[in-house]
Amino acid sequence: MKTITTDVVIVGGGAAGCYAALNLNRSGIRTLIVCKGLVGKSGASLFAGNLVISGRLLGNTAENASNTAEFLIKYHNQFLIDQNWARRCGQWIESTYYPELEEAGLYFRRDDAGEVVTSPGKIRSVAANTQGNSGVPFMDLRRKQVIRVGIPRLEETVVTALLRKSDGAVGGVFCLNIITGETVVVAARAVILATGYSDRLHKRSTGTREMSADGIAMAWRVGATLVNMEMQWWHTNDIADPPSWQRMQVYPNPMLGSEKSARMVNSAGEEFFNQQQDDPLAFGPYTVQLKALAKQVRAGKARYDGGYFAGFDHCDAAEVDAYTTYGKTYRQLGLRFPEQLVETAVTSHYRQGGIDVDTETMRSSVPGLYVAGGLGGHSNGLIALATYDGKVVADGVQRDLPALGAGALVEQDVEIESRRLDGLRNSSGDGPTPLKMKERVRALMWDKVGVEKSDAGMRSALDEIEQIRLDLLPGMRIANRGTSANYEWLDAIDVVNMIDACELIIHSSLERKESRGPFFRQDFPLTDNTNWLVANVLKKSGNGMKFEQRKYDLPIFRPDFATKDNLEVAW
Amino acid sequence: MTLASAPAQAGIDARRLGQIEMGDTLAARNSRLAVGDNIVVRIRRSEGSATYQDFQVPYQKWMRVLDVLNWIAENKAADLAYRWFCGSKMCGTCAVRMNGREVLACWEAAEPKMTIEPLRNLPVIRDLIVDRTAYENKVAQLEPWLERREPYPPFPEPLNHKQMKDASKALDCISCMCCYSACPVIGLGNLTDFAGPAPLVQLGQTALDPRNDPDKVKRSLQLTGIFNCVSCYKCEEVCPAGIPIVSRIIEPLKAKAAQLVPGMAKHSFALRDIVAARGRVDPGALVLRVQGLRALANMSRLIRLLVRGKINPLKTLFKIKTAATEAAGRILRAGVGK
Repeated sequence: MKTITTDVVIVGGGAAGCYAALNLNRSGIRTLIVCKGLVGKSGASLFAGNLVISGRLLGNTAENASNTAEFLIKYHNQFLIDQNWARRCGQWIESTYYPELEEAGLYFRRDDAGEVVTSPGKIRSVAANTQGNSGVPFMDLRRKQVIRVGIPRLEETVVTALLRKSDGAVGGVFCLNIITGETVVVAARAVILATGYSDRLHKRSTGTREMSADGIAMAWRVGATLVNMEMQWWHTNDIADPPSWQRMQVYPNPMLGSEKSARMVNSAGEEFFNQQQDDPLAFGPYTVQLKALAKQVRAGKARYDGGYFAGFDHCDAAEVDAYTTYGKTYRQLGLRFPEQLVETAVTSHYRQGGIDVDTETMRSSVPGLYVAGGLGGHSNGLIALATYDGKVVADGVQRDLPALGAGALVEQDVEIESRRLDGLRNSSGDGPTPLKMKERVRALMWDKVGVEKSDAGMRSALDEIEQIRLDLLPGMRIANRGTSANYEWLDAIDVVNMIDACELIIHSSLERKESRGPFFRQDFPLTDNTNWLVANVLKKSGNGMKFEQRKYDLPIFRPDFATKDNLEVAW
Repeated sequence: MTLASAPAQAGIDARRLGQIEMGDTLAARNSRLAVGDNIVVRIRRSEGSATYQDFQVPYQKWMRVLDVLNWIAENKAADLAYRWFCGSKMCGTCAVRMNGREVLACWEAAEPKMTIEPLRNLPVIRDLIVDRTAYENKVAQLEPWLERREPYPPFPEPLNHKQMKDASKALDCISCMCCYSACPVIGLGNLTDFAGPAPLVQLGQTALDPRNDPDKVKRSLQLTGIFNCVSCYKCEEVCPAGIPIVSRIIEPLKAKAAQLVPGMAKHSFALRDIVAARGRVDPGALVLRVQGLRALANMSRLIRLLVRGKINPLKTLFKIKTAATEAAGRILRAGVGK
């Protein structure tokens, strides 16, 4: 089997992975990117609608800066964030992120007079060219930067396992090129996982085809500690019916160049959420919206999978079209824009938790294994935050590299993984196809581990997961035994990761005995800052799992109550 | 920062002319099918005995080409190979040809009868998956990035949207290859050195950006073979991102090339000068001006042109003018000076 040797291998070609690669490469460290899709053209970074202005840039005031910090810590992370990291990150975004991007050529949207166009309100945002589409030119720029400096890429190549050296440290990855069917081992002194946070584990989800929680599952298998895996964000305004349009969003955030934004209306035609009035910070409204929706659901005026509506019927089309792409879906569907509303529903979006890291270096608990971006459990992602992680991990790895030897990988592990993949490709049972298995997992997560969770529902979900793992998985059936562009094979690899990740998410959800932000437990409706303002740490212990709690430092913001009904908490 | 007033969206979109009359809008296409109707789908496969395989797919509300492919993969042909990631018109990887025209599978409405084939002008790997390498290499060769002549000032640098009007259109490109597949000049293969519409749009993102060093733009343009573009507008017609590829990207790039690398535009300059001087197109003069005496080497072709009356050596020799000469000269010399 082909082996490639490099200093650092990065798994993932989004905002975090690319920026880590560019920084390491600049320091003369040999770096290689392995990407399941195409660097800059797959994953969640592409979906960045706009770019949030952090501090005093563009004439923002000290109050704006403080608002942004408050948004990040309260509304975006419900206090489950390293506030010291948040402070460093905010400073870096201001001093480095915006100038670096613009110097490289990113076009921050201007008006004809040359002013940068922003959204109004307490927190400002800007767009790369067009709001709703900022991720496209942003990631296109990163892709070209990576190509320009000649960083090698293995694209449409899935990493199926992290490989260890004899001392137990992670020192490589096992890869499968989906297009050619070739397997490759990449040996490196450090591995950076940057596979993102938006996995498609629920029936309704913003996650895309290739996002199947690979990073979580692989890291867990080599013993990495996880944190806050239960903290799942939800979009409330995605097209309800048909479900195939679920990734089309009626974006609720403030619009560039306008005082208005999308509003939400229940089945009785009553408006129940309007950004400008109902959200204290007029930004980061997902959790605030979700709470507003939950009240409608309880009143019988909406369902999580539809029965309510969203749109721009209070705006002029020209106002929406001036700087955003929001009209495109309505027009494509033949709806009258902006006067017609569209039925919307909830989809699972970011996973706030992830792999536990030291936020100074992005080290995981396993030697040789580093994490960047949304996959980390230290903060909820945003494209600027993920990019900052790319910088921090590059600094951390560079510092550690002298101590990370290039020792040989355990050959037996390579053989085992190779045989496992062959086994999956030759799955010849009389059970479901890998795609049907994926559907089954997503359906159970939606039905039993959806927006509102309960002990009984989640225990039943665990039983079902166990049944899928033991009864269905061995009987999986693949039609195509070929190796070239065999997506059934890829789906089979994904299913195994999805099952493992779902199990970890359910156990973590059972462990947190409160409700907080987007995490709703019917059996524990209170937000409990006395007992649960803690990181819910999940450690591997033998073949089982062990939970620990870790307190957060609260140097900047702290909650002002002990316990309170989560639906009555503003954030 | 300002809350700028919205610019008026006016004017006719030439690419959409006739669509409403022909019932060729998405809404119209969607309304041709009712939920539960059978869609007859024929897909080009690269393995097995039949080149095309037929499927019947039950129509679901707002069904897209991608939904049809997903339904087939889930229910009828698990081994169907097609590429897609985002499913929402951002990654640009799911483009195919549907009933002979390039579409983004995740964006285009399903039709009652569909033949789905891979894109043209790129090698097929399997079923609907094409090898993007040739395109990627062309883009990289053009070095479509910014090189600044002046040091970067603090953020935000002086720049306005008027200066970025064309480049900003190019920034909507999701490199889906629809235009690359539709381009007849690319279809000629190695007969020309034309880079193709998609690589030119990628180049336009920075080449039409006023911040870029003209020397850098010049180097890139020299590699494009851009004057092979025949302005047939096929690329504009299929672009799912609605980029006016010819009018806002290729034409401005041609103008830049004519200014920065005049030798590339020899044919265009010769044509303009002839029309300005004579008030007509004179193919004989054009060939002589562009190819020089080399043109005489291909005698059989010359005779053919002569017999058909396409060229008239006497008129060429004596530079016979037409009644339109004065007007043509006035318009062309004033309008295109460089």
